[in-house]
Amino acid sequence: MKVENVTLEKKYHDAVEHWRRHHFKDYETLLDSWEKYFPRDEKFCLCAKMELGTPDVIHVGEQTGEPKRLEPDQLTEDQARHLLAIIKAQASTEFGSIQQHAGTVDRAHDDQDRAWVLRVMAEELRHGYQMLHLLLSKDWSHVSGGVTGPQMVEEILSMTTGNHVLDAFNLDYDSFMDNITFAAFIDRVGKYQLTMQKVCAYKPMADSMPPMLREEAFHLAAGVIPLRRFAERAAKGDPLANLELVQHSINKWFPRGLEMFGDERGGQKNIQFGFKDLTNRDAVNQYIEEVRKMLRDINTRFVRARFPEYSPDKVEAVIEELERSRDSHRGLAYESILHLPDPRFFRRKGEPAFQMVGVDGEVFTDADTYLRYLSHHLNAGYVASRDLRLYAETLRQVVAGTLTVEQGVKAMPKLKRLGGTCPCSKSVRWVMEESDGAETTVMTRPA
Amino acid sequence: MPDTTTVARIRPLDELDITGIARIDEKISGIYRPEIWETRVMYYMRRDPGASQVAEAGGKVLGFMLGDLRAGEFGLDEPSGWIERFGIDPDSRGQDLGRKLFEAIRAHFVAEGATSVRTLVDTTDGGVAGFLKALGFTPAPLQALELRLETAKEQTHP
Repeated sequence: MKVENVTLEKKYHDAVEHWRRHHFKDYETLLDSWEKYFPRDEKFCLCAKMELGTPDVIHVGEQTGEPKRLEPDQLTEDQARHLLAIIKAQASTEFGSIQQHAGTVDRAHDDQDRAWVLRVMAEELRHGYQMLHLLLSKDWSHVSGGVTGPQMVEEILSMTTGNHVLDAFNLDYDSFMDNITFAAFIDRVGKYQLTMQKVCAYKPMADSMPPMLREEAFHLAAGVIPLRRFAERAAKGDPLANLELVQHSINKWFPRGLEMFGDERGGQKNIQFGFKDLTNRDAVNQYIEEVRKMLRDINTRFVRARFPEYSPDKVEAVIEELERSRDSHRGLAYESILHLPDPRFFRRKGEPAFQMVGVDGEVFTDADTYLRYLSHHLNAGYVASRDLRLYAETLRQVVAGTLTVEQGVKAMPKLKRLGGTCPCSKSVRWVMEESDGAETTVMTRPA
Repeated sequence: MPDTTTVARIRPLDELDITGIARIDEKISGIYRPEIWETRVMYYMRRDPGASQVAEAGGKVLGFMLGDLRAGEFGLDEPSGWIERFGIDPDSRGQDLGRKLFEAIRAHFVAEGATSVRTLVDTTDGGVAGFLKALGFTPAPLQALELRLETAKEQTHP
């Protein structure tokens, strides 16, 4: 595997460096301590990495067998417009996750966990940089609606938690538990997206995927391994560790992760255009099975630490029995191990949006009863958040029939910046997107 | 992505294989040591993801081979693939999984530009030494040496 490193034109490179000085203040600390935590690993490079030697022929969709496209204007206009939106969304997620991680990374239980998350943040910065390279190295003007490359960069770098393209990147973290749960659940969605996009009919996009995927593998481990170790601490009676903390974080992120795949009924256009090789439903079903396996692994670690005299087979049998009977085993209650919520739980987008389904699939009919239920299944910091309050308001309107589900999906607020790129002196405002696309300002706040 | 087939397939290691690897290790060594495997898997996931391989069938790990590409080790400037650890579930031996794992990791090393694959073996372990010999490994001019150090306890109580 050969990789070409590419640096953006200086003014854009400097813009990313400027951005990270505001949003990733520990970047220099990470680089200074690289040898301590990642001895002999390749040094971090803030650059775009393009895989060489990838397939030249389109693998999926209507243009199967034709040469991969090298320029945006070799795509049809519909294809180019669709791909431009994908690249911008991808860029948004990369920069967005850094802003989320930064809020709580210093609350890590130990220095190694913190260093792992800092490396994740640096690599997300590189992934965002990679997407900017895709936007800036070619001419997208015929499908950008008059928005120039520099304007697209400014738009992406000016996004903050609250106005990113995907909801999962608009939620603040409430504790370091969110850092690692996010890495385990949301970065895993990223792995699926990158894997699907390896076939992309636009070759620069396909060439970007393998280096990003190799880094994403570390991100998933940086979530799962601390979760495994936390489960062990909980099992051994550490009064500061219990799986309820993990479960509440899972309940917060899993629904947003499912929504990142897009509506379960969609995705055919991505296949038709040769951009991905799975529909949304096929991808989300595979993801659900994978996170189920992850939770089984963490539960196995937990139960084995709780009963160290048990064999692996016995541990497996205990977990299966707990899941089947929902009873308890030698004082270990079913509720004490981790469970994957029903895929319809706490959804605000996609097929089950606003359906009011509980973690075990139970269906609610009254909005306030459901919200009370959510408040018991999510962590206190998130329950008290603006995001949940606005979700509650929308849910009540959907249940009352004053909003359709479709209007409810669109009504979740987003933050939008009033001014330019640098957060030094600008402010942002809450805006409510109306169903007709118009915007209504709700409030402003200093950035 | 999870595999639900029953025929063993070889695929790159991922972070969800830790439990399966620890289980094989426990079957072989009699010791349960998940922390060791968490540390080692994390090491390979960040050093050279795609190099280390597992054999999986029906969602269970049947074997693993961990390694990475390095250059500059012991004055060896050319990039070499290093195999550090491998194991096959005792209940799944006789399926040629070790060779299949090796072929996959070797293909990765070749693609990365390696000109040799290296490992260390306890020559008193006939099973492992024989397996490596069957794969084509031969003794290298570079020899592993060690110097035993006395611990403080040994010095106090000879």
